[in-house]
Amino acid sequence: MIRTAGYILAVLFSLPIIAGLLGSVLPAFGLLPPLAATEGFTELFADPRFWPSIFLSLKTAVIATLLALSLTMLTLVCAHGTRLWRWLNGLLPPLLAVPHAAIAVGLLFLIAPSGWFVRLFSPSITGWERPPTAWVVPDSGGWSLILGLVIKETPFLLLAAAAQLPAVKVDAALRIGRTLGYAPARCWSRLILPQLYPRIRLTLLIILAFNLSVVDMAILLGPGNPPTFSVLLLSLVNDPGSRAVASAGALVLAAGVGLVFLSTFMLEKLISYLAARRRESGHRGNALPVWRGLAQGVVIGGLLLSVLAIVTLLIWSFARRWRFPNILPTEWTMQHWGSRLGEFASPLFTTLTLALFTMIFAIVAAIIWLEAERQNKLPKIDWIWYVPLLVPQVTLLFGWQAMALLTGTDGKWLSVAYSHWVYAIPYVVLILAVAWRELDPNWNNAASVLGAGYWRVLFRVRLPLMIKPVCQAAAVALAVSVAQYLPTLLLGAGRHQTIAIELVTSFGGVDRRVIAVLASVQSVLPLIAFVLALWIPVYFKVKRPA
Amino acid sequence: MKIITLTKNLFKSALLAAALMTTHQAFSTELDDSWDQTIEAAKGQTVYFNAWGGSDRINSYISWAADRIAEEYDVTLEHVKIGDIAEVVGQLEAAKTVGKNTDGNVDLMWVNGENFAAMKSGNLTWGPFAYNLPNASALKASDALTTDFSVPVEGLESPWGGAQLVFIYDTATVPEPPKSAAELLEFVKTGGRFAYPAPPIFQGTTMVKQLLLELTDNHDALAQPVQEADFAAVTEPLWNYLDQLHPNLWGKGKSWPSSAESTRQMVDDGEIDIAISFNPNEASAAVKSGQLPESVRTYTFEKGTIGNTHFVTIPYNATAKAGAMLVANFFISAEAQSRKADPQYWGDPTVLDLDNLSDSDKALFSSIDLGPWALPIGSGIVLPEPHASWAEALEGEWLKRYGN
Repeated sequence: MIRTAGYILAVLFSLPIIAGLLGSVLPAFGLLPPLAATEGFTELFADPRFWPSIFLSLKTAVIATLLALSLTMLTLVCAHGTRLWRWLNGLLPPLLAVPHAAIAVGLLFLIAPSGWFVRLFSPSITGWERPPTAWVVPDSGGWSLILGLVIKETPFLLLAAAAQLPAVKVDAALRIGRTLGYAPARCWSRLILPQLYPRIRLTLLIILAFNLSVVDMAILLGPGNPPTFSVLLLSLVNDPGSRAVASAGALVLAAGVGLVFLSTFMLEKLISYLAARRRESGHRGNALPVWRGLAQGVVIGGLLLSVLAIVTLLIWSFARRWRFPNILPTEWTMQHWGSRLGEFASPLFTTLTLALFTMIFAIVAAIIWLEAERQNKLPKIDWIWYVPLLVPQVTLLFGWQAMALLTGTDGKWLSVAYSHWVYAIPYVVLILAVAWRELDPNWNNAASVLGAGYWRVLFRVRLPLMIKPVCQAAAVALAVSVAQYLPTLLLGAGRHQTIAIELVTSFGGVDRRVIAVLASVQSVLPLIAFVLALWIPVYFKVKRPA
Repeated sequence: MKIITLTKNLFKSALLAAALMTTHQAFSTELDDSWDQTIEAAKGQTVYFNAWGGSDRINSYISWAADRIAEEYDVTLEHVKIGDIAEVVGQLEAAKTVGKNTDGNVDLMWVNGENFAAMKSGNLTWGPFAYNLPNASALKASDALTTDFSVPVEGLESPWGGAQLVFIYDTATVPEPPKSAAELLEFVKTGGRFAYPAPPIFQGTTMVKQLLLELTDNHDALAQPVQEADFAAVTEPLWNYLDQLHPNLWGKGKSWPSSAESTRQMVDDGEIDIAISFNPNEASAAVKSGQLPESVRTYTFEKGTIGNTHFVTIPYNATAKAGAMLVANFFISAEAQSRKADPQYWGDPTVLDLDNLSDSDKALFSSIDLGPWALPIGSGIVLPEPHASWAEALEGEWLKRYGN
């Protein structure tokens, strides 16, 4: 039975992915006559915005990914083992939970010429009575977007790296290195990082793919004229005359992601060749405390930026009047959280119901899958979970939307919930798999010997022991669902408004203070989930008899 | 044998007729239904109203209308917030191509100008429903309501409100605002801060049309379809002007405000000096809700600015046509129009002729306080929109020149 359930799951998970890819490939070549009767590549390549937007996407994605990788490495080298490292371990998971769109909005309120940063120092230090004109946000070069991506993706990569540190035996490596006379930083660069990198490579590729195809953050922080490639494609896909062009673009984007992956591998080979030669040099080097301090400063600065972005959101949500260059609002109000929030009751309800559905079904599905795998009734195929994370959302979802249009399933709540599930379950399975596979089989055996049946063992022994990872995975599923913009937009056909959709679509015109409320709500929901995920296991542990 | 076949056929026809009648009762609303039938048919319907969702005051207004309609008629009004209604027109075109003639996703939509023109020429509207609305009797008798960007309306859409391009500035930073295209150029060249949203955002397109109206000598060409005009010759002064204007704007012609509303926010922040708006009373509403300082004022260019009317229409394949008609009718009630004219809630000019109203309804309008911040009543000459076809041509050329 569990084998059948496992196979059904595999089909449920792969069906939209295969259909989605087909739904992008067919119209791109004009093979889906009701939606697209002619191929779209010619028109795509003729669009004057094509090359500029491709270039912009590549530039922002590659620079942001390289910066996130460098910051991660820098943090590991300069902060590991210090008090800062312990702080980071506490601060990173909640920061990771804050959705991209919310951080983007906070960042806009922070770094604009009239933003909080300039207000903090004007006119006292800068002498500016009016906002400077030297820069604008969002800028046409895409640097605001890069900054947003870096402060969102670095915590993700850093946590992934931190999780791998025990496996590369950091302390032992440091000890050996020091004994051989290498400076600590050299121990990292010569001994630890070469082992660590292959273990975080997949996470890095996920980030790269995400940065290349991100839509919500690019709409908010990216240039508009031309926008990034995926935003350009989004503006095309809703115009039915352009379905073929948009699908062709989605394929170009996927191919672009593939090419960038390939270049990453080649770059990797080059660097490991150079690094090997340097290792052979035997050069020991000195510890450089100045660099260490500087690097710690960069790390703290990045963290401060995220935290301040969220604080700015909260302040704006309570402001009535807050003009440049006042450091704080001159008039405060609760009105935006009171009467105004009432207007968002319906999107909030949709957000919550989608998130709960996603959470419950992702957890149940992951448990079924891992149980089947544990009993050797299913092959161990972790790679399939990475597919939706590595294929650009635009490519998958344009096709999924096309198929939904053809089958009349667009605009249905269940279609939206389904898409959230597909994007949440990979994280849930990958988080739970570690704990599931590590759990000592003797727990099971002992309980079985004592006469407990399968279900009893599962519910009374295995799951209670797993409560911590299950709660964490549930919180992640909820956070993923709350943040979903593109799936909700494309499959919801405008009929299922969520907080994420409200935030992005109404950004340009709406009252900044209401936007701040929306972004705060979007940040708070996953944070509550993370607090609960920490609290529930503790609560149940206390109640269990010793 | 013959008799059996005949009976069979009769039986079949009876079944078919019965089926048709049930369908009719359950789903179909016809243009010649009486208003009472419409009210009855609408009960329990959900009307998906696709409307631009970029202004939170407008969103609040629609949300208020939804509450009132639910109370009055047992109809649920769902506001589907759209970035650009042209997308919805495109979706309807696609639905028409694949033959999806019933159960459409859109019941009512907010349109005008080139989008209405596209719907009319593509037969995407349901029909002349606007003639059937009881409240239509109080509408102004004016060309502004019977033609939409020079295209005859013919009852295919129902008027909802008026609009005019205006400028909002802060008297604390700008003593004397520019009152013509030429003065605007001088203003930005001498350190004045200005920006407009990039076309095809409609306020951006309107700004470009406004400049064209002032800069070209050939006004007759603008009233005709663009295909009949010498586009390059008519628009040449416009591009010369913009080439000089753009490097001096906020964003240096490389970054653009994401909407007209954000120019208002930028005036409050001090990033720019003059905001553009398509609502003569916007400043008043913004001051009252704490989004602009009390020192702002609203004005138009000396020779006038472009104004137009916006409408709602029902697509040919709408699911809840009866409900959509009730909503369209509610939108032109004195209650809904007076609230819409009040800058506290929305604040755009009404489409009703106050002389057609009862005294109590008239009183609803006279109690509205516009304040000193709105465009003073009676000031600001309204210039007609160019023919609907100009918008797309201008947007295309603008994007080609300044889009990347």
